[in-house]
Formats: sequence, structure tokens, C-alpha cells
Amino acid sequence: MSRDSFLATVRQAAAAGRAHRVEHVPVPEQTGYIGLRPGEDPAVRLAAEVDAVGGTAFRATDLTAARDLLASWLTEFEVRSALTWEHELLARLGLAQLLAERGIVEHTHRTLVEMPEEARRLSVLACDIGITSCDWAIAETGTLVVCSRPGQERIASLLPPVYFSIVEREQIVPDLIDAIGSLRTTHDPLPSNVTLITGPSKTGDIELELTTGVHGPGKWRVIVVG
Amino acid sequence: MATTPTDYLRQTHHEFLEASEGALASPSLQLILGKLGDTLGKRNRDAWEALPESDAIRQRARNIKDETLAHLAEHLETLEASVVARGGKVHWAADAAEARKIVVGLIQQRGATRVVKSKSMTSEEIHLNPALEAAGIETTETDLGEYIIQLAGHRPSHIVGPALHLSAQEVAEILSKPAGQRLPAEREILAAFARQALRQKFAEAEVGISGANFAIAETGSIVLVTNEGNGRLTCALPKCHIALMGMEKVIPKLADLPYFLKVLARGATGQKLSVYTQIITGPRRAGELDGPEEFHLVILDNGRSRILGSPLRESLFCIRCGACLNACPIYRSVGGHAYGGVYSGPIGAVLTPLYDGLAANHHLPHASSLCGACQAACPVKIQIPQMLVQLREELHHEPGQQSRWESLAYRLWAQSLRRPWLYRLGTWLAARTLGRWKRKSPWLTRLPGKLAGWTAKRDFPAPAAERFRDWWAQEGREEGHDEARSEGQHES
Ligand code: SF4
Repeated sequence: MSRDSFLATVRQAAAAGRAHRVEHVPVPEQTGYIGLRPGEDPAVRLAAEVDAVGGTAFRATDLTAARDLLASWLTEFEVRSALTWEHELLARLGLAQLLAERGIVEHTHRTLVEMPEEARRLSVLACDIGITSCDWAIAETGTLVVCSRPGQERIASLLPPVYFSIVEREQIVPDLIDAIGSLRTTHDPLPSNVTLITGPSKTGDIELELTTGVHGPGKWRVIVVG
Repeated sequence: MATTPTDYLRQTHHEFLEASEGALASPSLQLILGKLGDTLGKRNRDAWEALPESDAIRQRARNIKDETLAHLAEHLETLEASVVARGGKVHWAADAAEARKIVVGLIQQRGATRVVKSKSMTSEEIHLNPALEAAGIETTETDLGEYIIQLAGHRPSHIVGPALHLSAQEVAEILSKPAGQRLPAEREILAAFARQALRQKFAEAEVGISGANFAIAETGSIVLVTNEGNGRLTCALPKCHIALMGMEKVIPKLADLPYFLKVLARGATGQKLSVYTQIITGPRRAGELDGPEEFHLVILDNGRSRILGSPLRESLFCIRCGACLNACPIYRSVGGHAYGGVYSGPIGAVLTPLYDGLAANHHLPHASSLCGACQAACPVKIQIPQMLVQLREELHHEPGQQSRWESLAYRLWAQSLRRPWLYRLGTWLAARTLGRWKRKSPWLTRLPGKLAGWTAKRDFPAPAAERFRDWWAQEGREEGHDEARSEGQHES
């Protein structure tokens, strides 16, 4: 009942409000699309924008170079446990082997489903790093779009204090409008969670000064392959 | 009503003028407000400048809002159907009391006692936290700023930076209590403490409560925009997610979203996009290991339908970015608490009287110089100054707000404008009486009798000793002719 009376009130109000509509100025269909500058390399732009929002981007010519780069980071951060996605690009990169060779415990969908709930909760909260790929990367804003699905958990890019992302040239789109368009055409219904990540976790809540890592990862590194 | 320097940080319904005095007398508040224009305000202005066609993009967002509100009921029905199709539940709350009852009921149904919240101005609006606490539900605000003011018992002083009024020193004192030790006034250490303390709360919480920046009717999604990541944790870890939205937050299509995202972050902080934008569509799907098992959407009216049918309907376009606060010379002088309501700054001066009553907040429509900086900063170009003027006019018709003296003054003014001879007589008299002052000072610092109210807060310009019409009759015309003649000569 309260639903119907709620909507009836709104219907009446919306009708009355039509007398007070604001002036519509028509805007061209293209308005709002920014994208790349003419002749710009999407991978170069993506890397530059990731840096601009407080992440650190590295370019790698191929998967072998990316693998070496990642290996050096694992040493640099003295990683002992990693929360990872199951993803085709990470498989081609040989991520599981890379971690195993270094004695790093890998928590991924496969291992997590085996655990009792409480143990799983404690393990994921304690991981040193998160490693994911993405569904799309947006060059103009330095953004990664990650969709949740079994094997590609939302917590991998969220819980650990350090977060590494691996992106391939084929995943890059110029503008946010392209990414949302692709999301719409490839997913119906939408995934339960789609997150656009643009930078490390930030806050300006204390004296308007930038402080990183308050809830999500404070350090964000991205490898752009190709 | 007496207001001590600190209690207006907590109380609503205080006198704007008295609270402003308190704010102006607080050196630490003035220091931080002084920074606002050069930080967030400047970043916003730079962002509009750097964005090609920023005006057209904002116009586009504005068009979508206007179009959506014209058929709001239909879009809400579509939203409901899509949310249900994705396994979520929709609840309708006509007012704040109903909304509180729904949320408390949902939590109690689960037998839950621990709740984490991501920042939601709508939940502030309905005073949700006191209701949760009264029901014995432990509630933790997880946005750093909200966490700090929850511990301090303050109200938010800014739409996006709720603890803006506190210095690092004050924050350190507030956080030292739960830390059980003295924390230094260093931002990194304070943030690290909050991260660790709040992780614990996230790990234990059974229910997560969030607001919604947008809701997409066609897909049944809500959109949550944050920079810290607490919004993500709120809907990744607890088993149940309750999202609370004002009904005006709905947009028809997913394709509409990018335009709003492009202007929201630029308005709020000058970023191209905020760090985390989540598009959430129902509870977790089969096989997923995180995300809530239950998703509830509470849609709130609470006075919005009254505004929707009124000439001030445009105030419902607001996407709560805070840009108008950062741009406003009044906000940057007195801060958020002086406004008394949940929403402060220029848009608060419109919304608080609309939601909370005009007579009770009669100072707010006047808490503006009408300079237009708010409208220029706004990502949806809301015509705030016009709305404030409209409210001032409505205020004049409120019973109890009418002053006989003011009415008399305006009646005289109207009469004199209608009768040129009376107007001439009036200006002649003014020049010969008050005008003499001008020779001593161009400003009158004290007007007599009932007019003293004006000069209590500002000076009044003294009328010129010579009327324009007299000057024109004697010299102005001459000068004008001289110029015209000399120009003519040049041409020939
Ligand atoms: S009125 Fe405009 S500028 Fe102010 S908070 Fe709302 S959207 Fe932002």
C-alpha cells in the first residue's frame, strides 16, 4: 500500500513540476566524449594518466618483460602471500608459477573455496598484495574497469595494502563512454559489481591534505603490456 | 537561543547569525576555511577550464535531470522492477521516520547487532545513527571524516569533507581515545590508525549501509563514488547491504552515467574520476566469494515530492558534490555548522528551508551575497541565486515574518516610483539631509531607529550630496555634447 501511495504522490508532483521545467539547451550527440588526442598511443596515454592519479605505471614490450618486472616487485615488497584473480592474461603470464617459485602463498578462487569460512576470512585479510588484470582500461582517465565474477573477486583489488594490475594493449579503450558502452553490450544483466579504479586509495579528510591508503591499497602499480 | 562556541557543532536549529559569530571567532576554523578556495575551489575551477566543452557537458547532465524528474514515477517503477529482477528488494519510505523503521527492521530481522556505514548524507538527513543506537545496534561510520566526527559527536560541516572544520591536532586528540594512547598530529599515522581500527569493524560487521550517488533504472544498479575505498568494503564484506537513496537520484539509462561521473568528481575535487566508482547490481551471484547475499534499496521521499511540484524543483538536480560550498564567500567565512541543517553552503541555504521549514530557517535565504559563484561552480548549473531570491520573496509572505516597518518602507518606495514628482522630492530631501554626510565619509555606519538593523552588520552607502539629475542638468549634458562634437570633427 505504501508503495502505491508513494508512487501516486510522486506522479502527481512530477506532473505539477512540469510547469517549472528548466530551459533545455540542445547539445550535440558527441558532447562529453574526450578520448585521445589525434595520433596518440593509447598505451602511452594510459601509463601517463595512471601516474597522474598517484599510481605508478610501467610499460613492458611483451609478457616476458612483464614477468621480469613483476618478479622484481615481489622481491622489492618482500611478498609472502598474494590474493589473485584467475584470468586468461595472468595465466599466459605464468603468474601461478612465478609465485610458487618464490614460495609465495597464492590465494585464489580455487584455494579459497576449499577453506572454511572463518579461515578464508582471516587469510584474505592478511594478504600482502593483490594482483588482477581488468575488463577494460580507460586511457583518458587512467582507469581500470574490473567486473566481479567467480575467480575475479572484488577483494583482490581492495583488501591488500599493495595492488598490482596487468593490462594488455587490447584491453585499452579511449574514453569512459567507450568502457560503459562496451559494458552495456557485453553484459546483460550487469555483473553484480563493476568497479572503476582510478588511483590508490585517497582521502583529503584531514586538513584538506592528500593522504593515501586509508582503506584500499595505498600503493598501486600497473604494467601495460605491448 | 544562546550558542556556546562548541555546541553549534552538534546542534541543529540554532540561529545562523549567532553561530556565524562563533565561527568567525575560531582561528583554527578560519585557517582551514581560508585554504578551501585555493585547494578544492581552485581545483574545481581548473577542472572546468581544462575540460573541453565543460559548459555543454554540464548542460547535458542538466537536461537529463530535468527530463528524468518530469517522469520520475515511471523511472522509479522501472528501477524497482530491475532491482527485483536482479534479486534485490525495494522499500519505499515516505518520510524519515518510515525510513528509519525500515532500516532498523531489516537489521533486526537478521538478528544483526553490528553495522558499518559508508558516507551517506541521506542517512544524516533522516538521523539514522541515533535510531540505530537506540535499537542497540553498534554503528560505525567508516569514511575517515565521518569516523572522526562520529567519535567527536559533531555534525558534518561539509558535504564531501565532513570533518573539514577540525585541525590535525584536534583529529589526533579525538582518535587518541579509541587508540588508547596519545597519537601525534601526523596525517599518515592518524590514517593508518583509522585503517586498522576500521578493518576490524569491517571484518565483524553483519550489515553494510551506504547511500547512492545514482541509481540506474534500466539495469537496477546503484552507483557509489568514493575515494577511500570504504564504500567498496561496505558492500564487499558484510552479508547484507542496505542502500538508502533520495528518490531524485535515479537516472534512466546506464548510458547516462558517464556524463554525471565526468562532472561529479570535477565538481567535488577537480579529479577526472574519483578513485572508486562502483556500479552495484543486486546481491552476489552464484559462485562468487564476496559481496552481500542480500541487497535492499530504500527509496526516500521525505519532502522531495513537495519540492518536485514546486518552482524550486531544480534543487533536486543536486548531485551533492560540494562545489558550491567551496566557491561561496559566505561558506568560506562561516563554515558548514553555522547553517544548522545537514546540508550547508549555498545549496544548504536552499534545501534546509525547503525540508525543514522556511520560517524556522529564515536567515538562510539571506546568507548569500548572490554573487553567482555557486552557480558557476555547479556541475549541473543549478540556479542557486535565483532560488534564494525566490525564497526571500516567499519568506516575505510567511505569517510571522512580516515586519510592519519593512512593509511600510516598501510601500513608500513603490509609491514614489509610481509618482515622478514624489521621487524627485525624495531624492532632493535625501541629498540635502543624509547627503551632507558624504563630505565626511562615503559610508554611514549607523542608521537611526528601525534602520539600525541594516548597519549592525554592514555600512550603508551615503547618498551623494548632489543628485545625478542635477549634475546632468548642469554639467553632464554639456560634457556629453562636447564629446559628440569633438568626435564629429574627427570624422569630417
Ligand atoms: S548545488 Fe551543484 S555545486 Fe552544490 S552540491 Fe549540488 S551539485 Fe554540487
